Amino acid sequence: MSENVFVISAAMIPFGKHRTSSYVGLAVSPLIDAIRDAGIEKSDVDAVYVGHSYGGMMTGQRICKEIGLGTVPTVNVDNACSSGATAIHEAWQAISQGLIDIAVVIGVEKLTQFGGGTLPLSPEDREVKQGIIMPAVYAMRATRYLHETDATPEDLALVSVKARKHGALNPFAQFRKETTVEEVLNARRVADPLTLPMCCPTGDGAAVVVLASERARKRLDSKPGIRVAASVLHSGHVAEGFRDMIKPEISYDSARDAYAMAGVGPKDLDMIELHDAFSIAELIYYEAFGLAEPGHGVDLIRDGKTTFGGDVVVNPSGGLLSKGHPVGASGVAQVAEAFWQLTDQAGARQIDKARWAMTHVTGGGTAGLDHGACTIHIFEAA
Amino acid sequence: MTTTTEAPASQPIADMEADSLIGTFPEGQRLVGSQCNTCGCTMIGSRVVCSSCISRDVSRVALPSTGVLYSFTRIHVGTAGIRPLGYVDLDNGVRTLADIREGDVPLRPDMRVELGIDDDDWFFTPAAGEKRED
Repeated sequence: MSENVFVISAAMIPFGKHRTSSYVGLAVSPLIDAIRDAGIEKSDVDAVYVGHSYGGMMTGQRICKEIGLGTVPTVNVDNACSSGATAIHEAWQAISQGLIDIAVVIGVEKLTQFGGGTLPLSPEDREVKQGIIMPAVYAMRATRYLHETDATPEDLALVSVKARKHGALNPFAQFRKETTVEEVLNARRVADPLTLPMCCPTGDGAAVVVLASERARKRLDSKPGIRVAASVLHSGHVAEGFRDMIKPEISYDSARDAYAMAGVGPKDLDMIELHDAFSIAELIYYEAFGLAEPGHGVDLIRDGKTTFGGDVVVNPSGGLLSKGHPVGASGVAQVAEAFWQLTDQAGARQIDKARWAMTHVTGGGTAGLDHGACTIHIFEAA
Repeated sequence: MTTTTEAPASQPIADMEADSLIGTFPEGQRLVGSQCNTCGCTMIGSRVVCSSCISRDVSRVALPSTGVLYSFTRIHVGTAGIRPLGYVDLDNGVRTLADIREGDVPLRPDMRVELGIDDDDWFFTPAAGEKRED
């Protein structure tokens, strides 16, 4: 019998270009804030899980030693953009199996170390050697989506406009200025048909959540928390031949399993933080999550169904497009947003009476795979 | 005296030796593929393990020089100028990432494309007979 697991606190730094901070400098403040907000002592922590992709050896231990948090197991997790969410999944597993009671999960990344440009991918990969970059992968998804549906580049721009509108309300977002369809379409081109505002900015970030068992939560006098209703992690499956790039099986399958685990469906969700690394991704994921039939995700953005006042608020934080995408931190930051929304702490971007939230983050550009990893969580206000 | 058996050593695969996807075959220069002699799965590149059935009985084969452009983009960032790149589904079903050289016919998904080789560069280009659709 698996035990209920709760997120009992969240903290993060505003994402941005923090050139004078190391991985340690990025992560220590939210680590302290999350521990304090959870009402625990560092001696209460049973394990630490750390998601990062480019932090180097012992990133988690380097961070934790600064506050004297040692002895307990510290696990460093690399699953590309899904690293942070994978770390949460690992913590959830340990608690739900009754092995531990309280886990700290850190997501952290410092992308300014690369001096700009697209994410470094593994030089061992066949397609990376041929020149693939992540914007090109999503650009080809976009080309195909525009080919198979009635969507237009204006629709791709609408996703960015919505993201900026939400991000303007979020003090943690890297971009806090609204934009227009014209500005997005006329911006510098990155990989056709994607322009710069259709691509998430790189940057630095850190986010921390504390997870606890029901037993520990009761001991802590039931501080505000959210229940982990589903935690699903999938890996990509190789296709040597045809792959439908606008029906990514890894996100379809993960969503199906998450809904089954949580016992809810797309209509029950009040908010979703999804992996909008590029604007086309949001339209495709509407379909993967069952918010729209295949080919009709574009209708939701046109009709305003996925912003405040719509059916479900998608990326109330501004998403990766506005908030930024320090890869290892993003999955944890999404869960921080779900925690704040479901505990009524989201300030100007608060969704009225939010009760159910989903977070989704994929990871990795690898030849033959749709994505290397996909993590989906569903949370219930508790 | 007891008899013991020694576990055989697994050996590393020298997959960094062949880094070119272009090879010479009886039919000329072609993309290098691998075909599994156990299950028939065909793969791009020089492979020694079948990704479908994990057999190591894999042969080097020439891949078709024609296929269909599944999708494409033109990359504007980086130092290479504007670089068209696409996924091509070859006529035997294998997909490959490829540089695309544009001619007079605008690129579109599902158009027929064919392999071209220019010194050490290989690329795909709209097949002869592809016409403008506009």
